[in-house]
Amino acid sequence: MSNSTSQAADRCLGIALIVLAAFCAAHALSLHVPFSYDPVGPKAFPLGLSILLGLLSLVLIFRPGLNGHWPDGRLALKLCAVLALLLAYALLFPRLGYAASSCIVITLLARLFSASWRQAIITGVLMALGSYWLFTQGLDITLPSGTWLS
Amino acid sequence: MFDFLIEGFSVALTPLNLGLAFLGALLGTLFGALPGIGPINGIAILMPLAYTLGLPAESALILLAGIYTGAEYGGRMSSILLNVPGDAGAVMTTLDGHPLAKKGLAGPALGLSAVSSFVGATIAILGLTLFAPLLAQVAVMFGPAEFFALMVFAFSSMAVMMGKDPIKTAIGAVLGVMIAMIGVDSATGVMRYTFGMPELFDGVDFVVMIIGLFAISEILLMLEHASRPDDDGKLPPLGRVFVSTKELLLCKGTMLRSGLLGFIIGVLPGTGASVAGAVSYTTEKRLNDKHGTFGKGDMRGLAAPEAANNASAAGSFVPMLTLGIPGSGTTAVLLGALMLYNITPGPTMFSDNPEVAGGLIASLYIGNLVLLALNLPLAGVFARVLTIPRWVLVPAIAVLSFVGVYQLHSDLAAIYLMLIIGIVGYLLRKLGFSLAPIILGYVLGGLMEDNLRRALAISGGDTSILWQSGISLFLWIAATALLVLPWLLPKLMAGRKAGNA
Repeated sequence: MSNSTSQAADRCLGIALIVLAAFCAAHALSLHVPFSYDPVGPKAFPLGLSILLGLLSLVLIFRPGLNGHWPDGRLALKLCAVLALLLAYALLFPRLGYAASSCIVITLLARLFSASWRQAIITGVLMALGSYWLFTQGLDITLPSGTWLS
Repeated sequence: MFDFLIEGFSVALTPLNLGLAFLGALLGTLFGALPGIGPINGIAILMPLAYTLGLPAESALILLAGIYTGAEYGGRMSSILLNVPGDAGAVMTTLDGHPLAKKGLAGPALGLSAVSSFVGATIAILGLTLFAPLLAQVAVMFGPAEFFALMVFAFSSMAVMMGKDPIKTAIGAVLGVMIAMIGVDSATGVMRYTFGMPELFDGVDFVVMIIGLFAISEILLMLEHASRPDDDGKLPPLGRVFVSTKELLLCKGTMLRSGLLGFIIGVLPGTGASVAGAVSYTTEKRLNDKHGTFGKGDMRGLAAPEAANNASAAGSFVPMLTLGIPGSGTTAVLLGALMLYNITPGPTMFSDNPEVAGGLIASLYIGNLVLLALNLPLAGVFARVLTIPRWVLVPAIAVLSFVGVYQLHSDLAAIYLMLIIGIVGYLLRKLGFSLAPIILGYVLGGLMEDNLRRALAISGGDTSILWQSGISLFLWIAATALLVLPWLLPKLMAGRKAGNA
């Protein structure tokens, strides 16, 4: 929260961006064009951008700005849980089908956003079924029905 | 000269498009009213659906533009009632809006803001109608070199005007342009930054990009807001909902001035509603604040940013429709949406796709009336939206994002990419970046490179073509002036440092 930590964050970002710029420049230089009427070619633009990014990152390292509050341990854990849940949604989506996977994910997501179990389950069931009906009947979208049913 | 408008009204008045303009206005007001979800997030979440519904280009654009203008109306709700800006454009609205609500004048404040939004938007839509065809005629003279110079100008205008930190704005724009480089190089067929992954051959998909950047990162940010204790979601009493004629007359000059100012700021590429709100508020404060009432619940302090941010929303369509250069982050998303339909907005759009350009402008007139009609009597109903708990809102955003991306790609790679972009977007927002420059860079990057290479192909590699014409020379000088003046002016002003807060 103090100035020094958030300035450190900007410095880290600056260093990471310089690495990114160097990587992009190296990749641009490795592009091989056999022959072309195009006087610029595919290299010049990315190369110019890498140089620009490198210069801007240097400014960031030497004159870091302030930025927001970083989440504490508990919140960071919750963030990871939300991400894991979204990833699980992606994996379950084609397998369990839309309605079932959405019901589970909505319930857990609502729990993570501090709903009670009762509220979360009601939200999950209603929203999953309601949106399934809206998407398939109202908007004519085909959704995966899941491999477990067949 | 106004043939496009007549054709436009014949497009916009079909039952489907009228319905979509109404739906857009309604959804936009709702999205704008929800704290945290601004116009960009609303459009990002709903765009894939508009696309999969198989709407024609002009209908999709009418729906999305309705959401955009509606969100500018809705943004004031949480600003006035909860002191939390519903979107970036409504930040200045909190300054006088919330004190008014505390005085028990929440209802009149909502009514006044609806009327001033209407006045601001009307001025800007009239300006758009008059100005856009003229600019389109000038823009026909633009060649690749002029377009390249114009984009340089757009980026420098953005770096100066947008966000608190110009360096971070610039870095964001460069990152956006770099993301646009991914994929097959159209001129030579060389793969750039694809790392052998076939999913990346066509570049990072637009829908995946905006959903990840705006919707997923928003979900992560909301988790933090949700765990703050000051968020009890209680609304102050509304009181009478109608604003009196006397109060309106008091703000008449403010609305007209701020509307005009907002329109001009909206037309400038890269500067959006937040700049318009701030500039008009400080202008009115300087002109009118004789008794120190601004910031304590002055009606004029509320009317100014509301008129200006709606005016700038309509104004930012001018560069988008005539030059293909978005005037704000939200119009960048709309521009990308048009590109999905293989329509590249630009000088030829008024002649090649008059149904799109005219239909959009006509629908703005209709949408603006619909918004006023919805917002005056229904302010209390919309205000109720603010009490929707986050545990309903967030799963809904997640479901819409997943269905939107899955519907367009049906593969997991797109969803993984969406999540990765979401995490990066979240980190960048925590580091004080605003997302608008990234999306502007991403949308303009490909065009910028194409125009540069086309210009140099014409001249056979001679770079002097880039500043040979009068138009491009002017744009280069203007771009340089924009970048240099903010540094130079304070030094010149340093001699007489009077009341510089």
